[in-house]
Amino acid sequence: MRVSSSLSVSLQLSILLLLASAAIRSSSSSPLNDPFLGISPQDEKYYKSSSEIKCKDGSKRFTKAQLNDDFCDCADGTDEPGTSACPNGKFYCRNAGHSPLVLFSSRVNDGICDCCDGSDEYGGNVTCPNTCWEAGKAARESLKKKIETYNQGLVVRRKEIEQAKLGLEKDEAELKKLKSEEKILKGLVQQLKERKEEIEKVEEKERLQREKEEKERKEAELAAQPGNENSEEKTDGNEKVEGSTDGEEMPGAYQDDEDLDENEHHDEIGNYKDFPTDEEPAADTEPTSILEEATHANPADKHVVDTKEDSPSSEDSHTDGSQNDGSTKKEESDEVEKVDDLVSEKKEELSKEELGRLVASRWTGEKSDKQTEADDIPKADDQENHEHTPITPDEVDEDDGFVSDGDEDTADEGKYSDHEPEDDSYEEEHRHDSTSSYKSDAEDDLDLSETTTSNPTWLEKIQKTVKNILQAVNLIQTTPVDKTEADRVRKEYDESSSKLNKIQSRVSSLEKKLKQDFGPEKEFYSFHGRCFESKQGKYTYKVCGYKEATQEEGYSKTQLGEWEKFENSYQFMTYTNGDKCWNGPDRSLKIKLRCGLKNELMDVDEPSRCEYAAVLSTPARCLEDKLKELEQKLEKMMSQDQPHSHDEL
Amino acid sequence: MRSLLFTLSLLCFASQTSLSWKKEEFRSCDQTPFCKRARSRSPGACSLIATDVTIADGDLVAKLTPKDNDDQINPLVLSLSVYGDGIVRLRIDEDHSLNPPKKRFRVPDVVVPELEEKKIRLEKFATENDPPSSVVYVSDGYEAVVRHEPFEVYVRERSGDRRRVVSLNSRGLFDFEQLGKKGEGDDWEEKFRTHTDSRPFGSQSISFDVSFYESSFVYGIPEHATSFALKPTKGPGVEESTEPYRLFNLDVFEYEHESPFGLYGSIPFMVSHGGTGKSSGFFWLNAAEMQIDVLAEGWDAESGGGESRIDTLWMSEAGIVDTFFFAGPEPKDVVRQYASVTGTSAMPQLFATGYHQCRWNYKDEEDVAQVDSKFDEHDIPYDVLWLDIEHTDGKRYFTWDSALFPNPEEMQKKLDAKGRRMVTIVDPHIKRDDSYFLHKEATEMGYYVKDSSGKDFDGWCWPGSSSYIDMLSPEIREWWGGRFSYKNYVGSTPSLYIWNDMNEPSVFNVHNAYGYYFHMATSDGLVMRGEGKDRPFVLSRAIFPGTQRYGAIWTGDNTAEWEHLRVSIPMLLTLGLTGITFSGADIGGFFGNPEPELLVRWYQVGAYYPFFRGHAHHDTKRREPWLFGERNTELMRDAIHTRYTLLPYFYTLFREANVTGVPVLRPLWMEFPQDEATFSNDEAFMVGNGLLVQGVYTKGTTHASVYLPGKESWYDLRNGKTYVGGKTHKMDAPEESIPAFQRAGTVIPRKDRFRRSSFQMDNDPYTLVIALNSSQEADGELYIDDGKSFEFKRGAYIHRRFVFSNGVLTSKNIAPPEASLSSQCLIDRIILLGHSSGPNSALVEPLNQKAEIEMGPLRMGGLVASSGTNVLTIRKPGVRVDQDWTIKIL
Repeated sequence: MRVSSSLSVSLQLSILLLLASAAIRSSSSSPLNDPFLGISPQDEKYYKSSSEIKCKDGSKRFTKAQLNDDFCDCADGTDEPGTSACPNGKFYCRNAGHSPLVLFSSRVNDGICDCCDGSDEYGGNVTCPNTCWEAGKAARESLKKKIETYNQGLVVRRKEIEQAKLGLEKDEAELKKLKSEEKILKGLVQQLKERKEEIEKVEEKERLQREKEEKERKEAELAAQPGNENSEEKTDGNEKVEGSTDGEEMPGAYQDDEDLDENEHHDEIGNYKDFPTDEEPAADTEPTSILEEATHANPADKHVVDTKEDSPSSEDSHTDGSQNDGSTKKEESDEVEKVDDLVSEKKEELSKEELGRLVASRWTGEKSDKQTEADDIPKADDQENHEHTPITPDEVDEDDGFVSDGDEDTADEGKYSDHEPEDDSYEEEHRHDSTSSYKSDAEDDLDLSETTTSNPTWLEKIQKTVKNILQAVNLIQTTPVDKTEADRVRKEYDESSSKLNKIQSRVSSLEKKLKQDFGPEKEFYSFHGRCFESKQGKYTYKVCGYKEATQEEGYSKTQLGEWEKFENSYQFMTYTNGDKCWNGPDRSLKIKLRCGLKNELMDVDEPSRCEYAAVLSTPARCLEDKLKELEQKLEKMMSQDQPHSHDEL
Repeated sequence: MRSLLFTLSLLCFASQTSLSWKKEEFRSCDQTPFCKRARSRSPGACSLIATDVTIADGDLVAKLTPKDNDDQINPLVLSLSVYGDGIVRLRIDEDHSLNPPKKRFRVPDVVVPELEEKKIRLEKFATENDPPSSVVYVSDGYEAVVRHEPFEVYVRERSGDRRRVVSLNSRGLFDFEQLGKKGEGDDWEEKFRTHTDSRPFGSQSISFDVSFYESSFVYGIPEHATSFALKPTKGPGVEESTEPYRLFNLDVFEYEHESPFGLYGSIPFMVSHGGTGKSSGFFWLNAAEMQIDVLAEGWDAESGGGESRIDTLWMSEAGIVDTFFFAGPEPKDVVRQYASVTGTSAMPQLFATGYHQCRWNYKDEEDVAQVDSKFDEHDIPYDVLWLDIEHTDGKRYFTWDSALFPNPEEMQKKLDAKGRRMVTIVDPHIKRDDSYFLHKEATEMGYYVKDSSGKDFDGWCWPGSSSYIDMLSPEIREWWGGRFSYKNYVGSTPSLYIWNDMNEPSVFNVHNAYGYYFHMATSDGLVMRGEGKDRPFVLSRAIFPGTQRYGAIWTGDNTAEWEHLRVSIPMLLTLGLTGITFSGADIGGFFGNPEPELLVRWYQVGAYYPFFRGHAHHDTKRREPWLFGERNTELMRDAIHTRYTLLPYFYTLFREANVTGVPVLRPLWMEFPQDEATFSNDEAFMVGNGLLVQGVYTKGTTHASVYLPGKESWYDLRNGKTYVGGKTHKMDAPEESIPAFQRAGTVIPRKDRFRRSSFQMDNDPYTLVIALNSSQEADGELYIDDGKSFEFKRGAYIHRRFVFSNGVLTSKNIAPPEASLSSQCLIDRIILLGHSSGPNSALVEPLNQKAEIEMGPLRMGGLVASSGTNVLTIRKPGVRVDQDWTIKIL
């Protein structure tokens, strides 16, 4: 090693160092003025009672002289409450004017002011001003504010609990009613089905008869043309194809389509029964087209976000909004995505019967080539990250009437409400995407139930109609089948089963809802179907109660998780099994709930790859016990504050 | 930290898909012509003879020519130099006076200038006739011999049987491809995957055999994730397909833990150790790609026969023969001899020896503040918080993401107020962005590495299109260093230090040295920044001989697997043996999510790594020590506290390494050279000469078999229980701790108080733990300086030796007389392990005071043994750490 030639310099430096260190050094040598330093008032008796003191863990005893002598005797730190000698020790600072504080012994005389009264830094390393008065004042102020929030929040919470009670009663009543209607309707549908099948049997017979005749006729013709050897087989093939097509496709289905539509509108029960499936590319597009059309139709309506949940008319505007606002491209594309997803999802979940129904129903309203063309577009769309694809005016027009009809006539019902039981979720999703902040699915449910139940005669009407039809269509005598009568049966069957589906869907969604954990006092009932939004930087985070949480950025949307459960006695909400992360876990979100006057989502963060965290302030968490605790704390602070404030200042 | 892959030398591919280590992506020996050629040579193929032996300029020089030089091949020039302390340097190159087409590359800046001071200028040589040889004196114990026909160079003992120590070309495999001028139609191109090397001067590879005598095992030549004792790669009992150990700096994504393939660094230095307790070493200073075979016994007809010789085959693509023979004989002699050639490790700042918390990435200032406060909340000390690449503005180093880190200075000041530092990453790839000041300047100044067409090399790395600073030029290095000034690095403060990652890449035959120069330039930059008053801290991933002079290194991107925890020990032992003592593996494993048990075990082992850092990939779950439930938090806190308690011991060991080159983390045989049972043990390790640590590397284990070497006893660090040496013991290894023992006859200084960081421990009193041997004696050292500046180089330090003998503990000054630093720190607790009970007081002189003695359970920091033997403790002797005193047990 090289030795410095400038010895004097280093000596001088050493002296300086020596002086400096002498000035700041202390912890090990400085005597304590107060032998009871670092001991809490409750503990003073323990230390003062006798000359030999026990380590609290019972391991040994120490003398008064060993108390705070800067040498650790007790493993648990009992003998060194006022020094850093025991690694496991705790230092108590009184902090008169503020709240007392218990520190790790590692903080004592470490040169950093931890206690506002500065009592942890007596070694002279650093001078700590007493800031307890100011800090205490600020702490009291903030505590008071907090208590105020709790007080007000409690009122809101009580109200919500009452409303939850009413809401739940209503849900249950509706469920009960729907179930009985479902029962009756099921019977009717069954009757219609039987009659329909009878008719179809006869029709099939007639058809075969016709074919036979036709064949014979053709054969006769062929026989008349000599030298055509292969033609027979070919014809057979053709016939087969035709035959199968015929089998699936009801004659007259086309004809009656218009009527069906109209009827649906009049009935004010969900339209668009021709729910899209994968099998028929044409169907996929329809919702897209609708949405896009709607966007064009109503470009000015951009501020759905402002729609408040408590506005009495909001349900209407939401529903409208969902079709009309199309305020951003993102929303549209999201919806497209949703629809597509839903379709494929749906298909997987369908029973054979349901699938059959679906396949049958899609024949309705899909006659034009144009539509088929249009339908192909979103497929590509989908693959390209759901980008907005413009639609030709023709196509828009084509869809236009379709949609706006539905729009006007079924405004309260939600466009897609009349399908599979799972539709409920679709419906919600759709709404949440198109409008922002708070959306109450509960309210929408209410609408729906009002629509279906407000008119007590609808069921009777159907019953009556069915009765009439069944009487009118006399099968036995009609050969050939009276086409009008047959169509009437079919139409009535379609309508009734569609209605039944809708009711079943509603029943299922209500049952699902009622199974949810709304909290010990149902204080989270209002979260059902509601979404909370927070914009952070380029991302919009959306958390929907009992549903899902998403992160949106421009066109792209990422699911952060599906609703999982409350945790830690309702202190947290968790969403899990979100979109898969590349090289990481499935996304998840954990939301800390805290008392606040409004439901407000904030501080969304991703502390660990694809594991999100957020805070939601909500009146639901303004608990009475906690309020009492805070009040006691304040009381304590105030009382402590009074007698000591002056001797410290 | 990275998931990158280098195929050959230049490109930095950010892997878009999950690439893991794939053998076929790296060139095997068979695909490497020079390696394939060298490997297929037969023993005795070398026909070179040494002629014209003479002394010139203090060296022994000779010419090497083929015996029947029909081809009129130019002779090579051999020169042999001798340095004090048993070092022989052998150089072989083309004869420059014959104007070879190109001067072959010699590696500058690695051999320390001080080596020249140790040179023994040769004036004469002796001649032997059977066989004809020339002999020169090396040291009292050794001489170097050049045999003439065929040529062979070796070091042998001077006395007794004149046993050989280490030799070159004894097996006749020496080959030196001389540079040629390319003729018409000569195809000298080499291709591998997408890389083409045009090799304008043809093959220029060099290969030779090196033999180590009386050798049981050879060690060294990092960096590989393999066992500490190097397994044979060729010969009987070795699979045909086995590759030689490759030395080629590579960034390997998710490396395997049992593989001879090269990792991030290359140190062509091998150490041999054998049953006689003697060690020797061989070092080839060469920066080109290298392949080294360890040949199994019986690989040729001549080997074997109980000679305990290990033959090795060294192959390099280019360069010259510039080799060093280290005679030993003790293991510590060999590392010291190597250190006198390449330098000892830099003295780290005290903070750098504490715990480091890293993650890719702490996202923003709030995240930093949160993590920082959580450490305090859980009373876990740490010294440094790290920021990975995401803190920058689009991977433009020396910048900050203004949204995430709007107030970097304030952030650093907040940490600094608690005595904590920050480290930011600065990688060598510079984003090619015209609006980026660094790129602009480097382009304008022409400071980038050029491609074959003379344009700035354009590679692809984190920031996208990137170029690399030409670190080989001293002028450019100085410019680079200047980038770290507070003025140039906006947002930096004096408490900010640097991390160099991804610094493996380089060009052509200086490939393996690029990271070294980058590390050097950065480290020198920090010295400049601190006006020479602040020791730099720079962590690097790439390594090369000499890296130890510039900072710490870590073992790169390991994985959260038990086997990666296990392999960290042989890797760190190897690094320490080859000079780089300030090293560590990422705690918890960079990739993947460690189960809590693995993480806890990793902290328990990692607390003894010289460089102690937790780090994680950004796809992993958060794993700060408080995230796995209270119990696990407690266990990790205890592990970290253990490290902080032992900081005075570690710091003393870092000083020892700084002076002598002897590493902090040592193989058992370095302390017990005669104990053959230790030679292949790479699960246990020594920290200094006083502590033996056995990691737990298996899930669900609560016991460990620990071999305790030597004849003296060992004291369980946790409870003071005594175990006899020379035996394997089955030890409890409950979740609380891994087995660790203090060696009888040693003194270990500790600081038992807990603080937020090492900074606040400055004034805290010391504990001395004295482990008595069978003669009731012990000794140990304590080194103290200001922990940060270079004043220690001017004598501002305290260096004490504590000797316990005849019932008296004495504190002696072992610093030179001019050394001067004072400290008022006291020694407030002295624990005597292995002392009988009875005495109840001690006399402290010269204070002439009595200190109390009590018997009780052993304590270590906050932990007090619940079982075990009672130990004798001297309470508050009141002696100062910087003064002479004695304490006599009464």
